[in-house]
Amino acid sequence: MMGGPENGQRIGVVLGRREATPLEFWVGVEGEGLLRLDDLVVVEGYHPKVGRVRYFGMVDHVAKAHEGESYDTDTFLAVEGKIPVSLAYVAHVSVTRIVPEEFFPPDPGSAVYLAQGEDLELALYYEAMKNQRGSTKLPAGFLKNGEVAYLNLEFLNGVKGGHVNISGISGVAAKTSYATFLLKSLLESGVLEDAHQARVLLFNVKGEDLLFLDKPNLRLSPEARRDYEKLGLDPGPFRSVYFLAPPKKGGEGILPNVETRMEGVKAYYWDLVQFAQKGLLPFLFADRGGMSNLGYLIVHVTEKLRRLAEGQKGPHLLVSDWPGAELPEEITFDDLGRVRLKSFAQLVQYLEYKLLGPEGGKGEGDSTWVARQARGTLEAFVRRLRSSVENVGHLIRGDRPGNPPDPLSGSHQVHVVDLAKLSPQAQMFVVGSLLSDLFAKKERGQYRGRVFVVLDELNKYAPRDEESPIKDVLLDIAERGRSLGVILIGAQQTASEVERRVVGNAAIRVVGRLDAAEAERPEYRYLPTSFRQRALILPQGAVILHQPEIPVPLLLRFPFPAWATKREEVLEDNSAEALRREFF
Amino acid sequence: MAWRLYSLEPLRTEALAGPGEDPPNLQDSGGSYPFHPLEEPWEAKGAPPVPWPEPLYFVDGRERAEALIFDGRRLVLLGCVAAGAVAFAGGGMRLLEPRVRRVGVGLWEPLGLGELVYEPLPLEGGGEPLSPTALQEGLAKARALLEEDLAKGLEGGLLIVDGPVRLRRQGPVLGYIKTHWARYLPEDKEALIPTLRPGERTPMFRVRRGGRELASWYLRLPLPPEGVRPPESGLLRVETPLSPEAKGLADLSLSLFPALASHPVKDPRAPQNLLPVGSLERELSRRMGSRDLVGRILARYLGGG
Repeated sequence: MMGGPENGQRIGVVLGRREATPLEFWVGVEGEGLLRLDDLVVVEGYHPKVGRVRYFGMVDHVAKAHEGESYDTDTFLAVEGKIPVSLAYVAHVSVTRIVPEEFFPPDPGSAVYLAQGEDLELALYYEAMKNQRGSTKLPAGFLKNGEVAYLNLEFLNGVKGGHVNISGISGVAAKTSYATFLLKSLLESGVLEDAHQARVLLFNVKGEDLLFLDKPNLRLSPEARRDYEKLGLDPGPFRSVYFLAPPKKGGEGILPNVETRMEGVKAYYWDLVQFAQKGLLPFLFADRGGMSNLGYLIVHVTEKLRRLAEGQKGPHLLVSDWPGAELPEEITFDDLGRVRLKSFAQLVQYLEYKLLGPEGGKGEGDSTWVARQARGTLEAFVRRLRSSVENVGHLIRGDRPGNPPDPLSGSHQVHVVDLAKLSPQAQMFVVGSLLSDLFAKKERGQYRGRVFVVLDELNKYAPRDEESPIKDVLLDIAERGRSLGVILIGAQQTASEVERRVVGNAAIRVVGRLDAAEAERPEYRYLPTSFRQRALILPQGAVILHQPEIPVPLLLRFPFPAWATKREEVLEDNSAEALRREFF
Repeated sequence: MAWRLYSLEPLRTEALAGPGEDPPNLQDSGGSYPFHPLEEPWEAKGAPPVPWPEPLYFVDGRERAEALIFDGRRLVLLGCVAAGAVAFAGGGMRLLEPRVRRVGVGLWEPLGLGELVYEPLPLEGGGEPLSPTALQEGLAKARALLEEDLAKGLEGGLLIVDGPVRLRRQGPVLGYIKTHWARYLPEDKEALIPTLRPGERTPMFRVRRGGRELASWYLRLPLPPEGVRPPESGLLRVETPLSPEAKGLADLSLSLFPALASHPVKDPRAPQNLLPVGSLERELSRRMGSRDLVGRILARYLGGG
C-alpha cells in the first residue's frame, strides 16, 4: 500500500459519519492497518479555490467496536458464530498543523497515511526549530515509534520562552530522572551553543539520589547505551559535578552530613558576617505574610545587621554595643573590647538584647533597632528567631570562614546542593539564600552564561496560598529570570498547589504519572482528555511533554540514567590506576 | 408530462416480514388440507445434536417503497429492494456482499434522479393504470427475484431461506415459516403441537405446492421464560423438497433452529426471527440508504406532491 503523501503507508480513510473539521477528525482504519495512540498521520485535502492542503495530526484516541450489534450481549452471539458483525477500528486525530494554513475541513473518505520522514518533521514542527545559527532541536526523549523527539531549545533557554515545570507523584513519576536527563541533553547535545558556560544548581531534596551524578551506572544496559547514542549523547555520567552538603550538627570539625557518599562532598555553611552582609535574615521567616508589622521589622533588622557587618571580615561578628554586664558567660571580647559573636545562637541573643532589653528585666530595647514596633511584634520576632537556632545553627556559624554554595564560581559546571537532611526551615533558608544570591549576581551581570536551577517540591517553596520571601525570589526568577538567563526547572507532585505564576511562566510542561484527582484539576487542562487519562497509568521512564509550538502534547520515553542514582548503582572503578589513586 | 411526486409515504413504508406467511389460499375451500404423514408414529421427535454443515447459507431480502410518482396518467411505485446472505463457515458468521437495486414498478424506462437510478419494472396490464396494491406486489416480486438470483450464486452447502421453498437449486435447502395462517394438520394430529417441547419436532408430513412435493414439520423453538406463553409461540414450520435426505435435514433442523432462535428481550419477533437473519435485515436496511435522504433527493428532483 504505497503512494500518497511522501510514500507514507496508507492506513485508512477520514470518516464521514462523524464530523471532520480542520482541527480534528476521525479515521477508519482499513484492513490489516495498525494505528496506535501517538501515531502521526497525514491527510491531503483539496479545494479548487485553495489547492492542495495537508493536515498533519496525532492520534489521541483509538477504538474498536462491533458494528451491527444492538446489545452488548450480541458479542457472545458473534463469538459463537450466530450473528455476523463487522469490526470497526477508528481513531481520533487532533490536527497539529495545516500546510498551507487554510482551515477548511478534509473530505470524508480522503486517504490517511502514516506520517514518516519529512512528514513527521512537519507534523511536529521540527523543521521550524532553528535560528540564524542553526538547529534548536534539543533531544527530549523518544516518540512511541522509536524516533527521537525534540523540543525547541528557544522555549527553554529564554530566547522565546523559558523554564520547565514537571508534575508527577513520587516514586514512579521520575521527575528528578527526567530533569537530570534534560540537563544531560542541554549540556552535552551541542544544541545549546554556549553549553560550556552554562551552570547548573541542583537541589537534592530526597535521599541521596543526586549525589552520584558523576558515577557511571552499573545497571546501564546495552540497549540504554544505544538509546543515548541515538540521541547524540554520551552514555556516561555528568563530567563536572561539585557536591555540597550541610555540616553535621555538633561535634568537632566540619563534616558533610552524608551517609552513602564518603568522598568528594564538601560541607556548606555561612559565617555570621556573610549572613549579615548578604541580608539573609528574611529567609528564616517563611510565614512573614501573616503579620505585616513583623515583615517591616524583619526588613529593618536585616538592614541594621547589614550595616553592622560593614567592613567586617568574619567569620565572627563583632559588636561594640553590648555592655559586659549583660553578657552571657561564654562570650568573648576582641582586642578592642568589642564583643565577638561566634555562633548563630549568640547572634540571636544579641538581637534579643537589642530588641527587648536586658534579660529578665522590664527594660526597653535599643530604640534604633526596635523601630517603634509594639512589644508584641518584637517578642514574636525573637520567639521565631530563637526557635530557628536548632534548625540553622549549624548552617550559620561564627567559628570559621563560611563556605556557602556558589554555583557561579569555581570550575565545576554542576553544583549539587543537598537539602535532604535539613529541617523544613533550614531548607527554606538555603534555597532562598542561594537563589536570591544567584539572581542578584545575574542581575548585576556578574556571570555571562546561563544558569539552570533544578528544584523539586516547588509547592513547599512557592505555595499557592501563602506569602514568603522564598516565594518572592522564585516568582522573580519565573517572571524575569528568562531574560537574565536564569532558567528554573521546577518540579512538584501537584501543580495545583504551586503558585500559578510560577507554573504559568514555564514554557515547557512535563507530566509524569499523576494522581487521579490531581489530573482533573484545571492546571492540567492544557492536556487533552486522553492524555489526562494516560497520565494515571504512565510507566516509569515515560512522560508527557507539552511545548508551546506543538498544539498536542507528546508522550515520550527517556533513557535509563547513565549515572548512578544510589550507592548500589555505582560502577566501581577497580582498575589498577584507580586503586593506586585510592591507596597512595 | 414529466413525473411528479405523488406521495412519499406509499402504502407500507417497509415490508419487514417478507414472504414469511403462507398464502392463505393454500387451504382447500371449506375442507382441511389433505394430510399425508411421512413418518410413523405421530409423536414428538427429538434428535441428538449434530455439527452444522459448512458452508451454511441464510438468505433474506427486504423491500422498501420509497415514493409514488404520477405523470398525470399512471402511478409508478419507486422502491428499493435488497437481498443478502450470511454464510457460516469456519466457526463464524460472515456477511456476504448484499445486492441492492432501486426499481420503478410500472416504469418503462430507467429514471435517473441525481445519484439514484430506478430501473424499469414493467408490469402486466400494459398501459393500464395500476392499483397501489398491484404496485406493492410488483415490488415484492422484484425482491423475490433478487433473492432467488442471489441464492443461485451460492454453491454447495445448505441453504436456508426465510419463507416457503420456491427456488430450485442443486444442494439441500430448508425454508422456514414463522407465522401460521394455514392449517396443514387435521385436528387430531394438531393436538401434538402444543405438547412439543423446545427442540422437538413433529413427524414429517407432505406439502404440495405449485406442482412440487415438499416434506414439512413443525418444531418448537425455546422462548424464555418457558411455559408462560400460548402454546403456539415459538413454533416454526420448516420445509424442504421431498427427497431421501429430508429425514436427515429434519433432524439437523433441531440442532440448527433452536440454537439460532432470537431472544425476546432483543427482538420483538423472537424467537422465530433467527439471529443471523435479524442481523442481515438490519444490514440490508442500512445498505438501502437513509430513507430521509432518499426522500429529500426525490423531493428535490420531482417537486412536491
